[in-house]
Amino acid sequence: MNQSEGTLIRQLVSDHQPAETSRDENPWLSVLKKEAASWFCDMPLPNRKMEAWRYTPIEFINKTAFSLDAEEAPFEALAPSDIEELLLPGSETSDRIVFVNGRYAPGLSCLETGNGITLHTLAGDSKLPSGFKRQIGHADLSGRFFFTLNNALMSDGAVIHVNKQGSERRRLELLHITVGMPDPVIHNPRHLVVLESNASLELVERYTSLGKSSYFNNAVIDIHLSEESDLLHTRLQEESELAQHLSHLTVRLEARSNYQQVSLASGGAWSRTDAQIIFNGEHAHAELDGLILAGSKQLNDVHLEVLHEVPNCTSREHFKGLLSSNGKIVFDGRILVARDAQKTEAALNNENLMLSRSAEVDTKPQLEIFADDVKCSHGATVGELDPEMLFYLRSRGIPKAEAERMLCTAFANEVVSRISETPIRNHAKRMVLQRLANQGEMA
Amino acid sequence: MLTIENLKAAAGEKEILKGLDLQVNAGEVHAIMGPNGSGKSSLAHILAGREGLDVTGGSVSFDGNDLLELEPEERAAAGVFLAFQYPVELPGVNNTHFLKEALNAQRRNRGEEELDSVAFMKLVREKMELVSMKPELLKRQVNAGFSGGEKKRNEILQLTLFEPRLAILDETDSGLDIDALRTVSEGVNAVRSEERAIILVTHYQRLLDYIEPDFVHVLADGRIIRSGDKTLALELEKKGYNWITDSEAA
Repeated sequence: MNQSEGTLIRQLVSDHQPAETSRDENPWLSVLKKEAASWFCDMPLPNRKMEAWRYTPIEFINKTAFSLDAEEAPFEALAPSDIEELLLPGSETSDRIVFVNGRYAPGLSCLETGNGITLHTLAGDSKLPSGFKRQIGHADLSGRFFFTLNNALMSDGAVIHVNKQGSERRRLELLHITVGMPDPVIHNPRHLVVLESNASLELVERYTSLGKSSYFNNAVIDIHLSEESDLLHTRLQEESELAQHLSHLTVRLEARSNYQQVSLASGGAWSRTDAQIIFNGEHAHAELDGLILAGSKQLNDVHLEVLHEVPNCTSREHFKGLLSSNGKIVFDGRILVARDAQKTEAALNNENLMLSRSAEVDTKPQLEIFADDVKCSHGATVGELDPEMLFYLRSRGIPKAEAERMLCTAFANEVVSRISETPIRNHAKRMVLQRLANQGEMA
Repeated sequence: MLTIENLKAAAGEKEILKGLDLQVNAGEVHAIMGPNGSGKSSLAHILAGREGLDVTGGSVSFDGNDLLELEPEERAAAGVFLAFQYPVELPGVNNTHFLKEALNAQRRNRGEEELDSVAFMKLVREKMELVSMKPELLKRQVNAGFSGGEKKRNEILQLTLFEPRLAILDETDSGLDIDALRTVSEGVNAVRSEERAIILVTHYQRLLDYIEPDFVHVLADGRIIRSGDKTLALELEKKGYNWITDSEAA
């Protein structure tokens, strides 16, 4: 095998398997991992000839000898005070589930049990109810290289189960922290979130790091929304600037359920989201707003599929890209309306603002409609700062750099302002401002 | 205050100003009238520092300094204000935030102390009343979704807020009904003072009923071809621009 075939990562998977099975506490997990590993061995490495990878090179996977973290997990050395700087202001004592380097860190987490939320973890919980085991094992491993890699190496993950309890919506943060290791490491967290009928939750899914280091976060999160359940999902990707980040998100919506996502991706040298929104029940609704930032030496990719399989569902997807320096954004969004999915209303839009002529955007919004009574739209724009707007601001005394910042912030705020929780929204605003300040070389 | 000498300007290949002279002193109100395409608006924008209009000759001095050397934001801080004919919409930029940033940026530039939120809000409310502007327009995005009249009031609000030394009003009367025209004029008259000068760029005599000019100039084909007092405007209204442009040609 030569390097172009992913020798290093395949070696890691095959080295990992036998040792793990011999002392794994969860035989069912070992079976899944083994199966995934055998699929993985035969899978071709993603390449530019594959439509899903046409604009997203993955040289890092051939160049980097990733290892799995040693058994003694680094979080054991971490005290709650070590992660204070990473916590969202005002959320120090609110419910959170913390994963450090891909593993559950009970000492850093705080979760008020009862009140409708139950937490299991893959590594620690041998008594995981079989329903959840089935849901995790149900994954389609064909054709998805990194998803299958996650399945072959998954070591831990949160299984969050939410029942209807009272009328209050609970907020829960799923916080991922990577602690820098001397050598590049790969983490494969595997999460499952299940909302039962009429349940509601606000989930903040966040990825951040302590120190600048090189690592690959290859996360999978599956979300199941039962009838009339309601999820507010905020995703904040603030990985180290040297990191690779890939998150696979699947959301399944049953009848009359509601899903609202606001995502902000700013970190990582190489970052990608593969998201699938699947309508399984009628009269469900999904709204996704995303802000993608790509600055110096960054690639940020969003692949989004919205599958309207049943009638009478509505969805709206709005992703905005802000590029500076030699940053690159790939957006591939596709709405599919199945033959029976009449009365579907769906709109997909991607807007990009380029602050630099060396930046690159590859955008591809798509509609595939097989039903005949639907309202669907899609579109994409790529533009620069409007000189009329800049002149107007400057003619009022606002210096050029400040005027540019105001217009960029305004562009970003359309997404950021959709975050309902004030502390999180303020944090997101700071992320944008920090990015604009760091970027300096706007022109 | 403002001395324009033999000013020549072009947009790309097209000559717009062909040797324009104008002297404006503190305390004066000048009306610049003229047919479409005569260069009135271009003159206003050149004074404010718009890119894309190239000065090819002549000079503009403002309080003894070379105005053309200054960036647009420096001109604003020095006291030059342009009320736009078509105020620009800024989606996503809050109007209060914009007004406060602008005022404080000018103050910073002049080495003056910035206004805090409380002082600013007090000031802006006062001025809004003066131009009969609905308070909720402060919470909106700058000019976005404003009616034509609301946009013009927002310009005059800025005029009263920034209190510039030289205010240039580019066809501020266009698209206004009589009531709006009256309140906008009241705003302009309120800032009229011995230290301040105003240049009104307009098509119509109507505005000058409300804001009485000291001088009226006719700009045609990139030059000022006739200057006079306010009676010149009345005569223009009656006889049309051809009266002068034809006599010039003759």
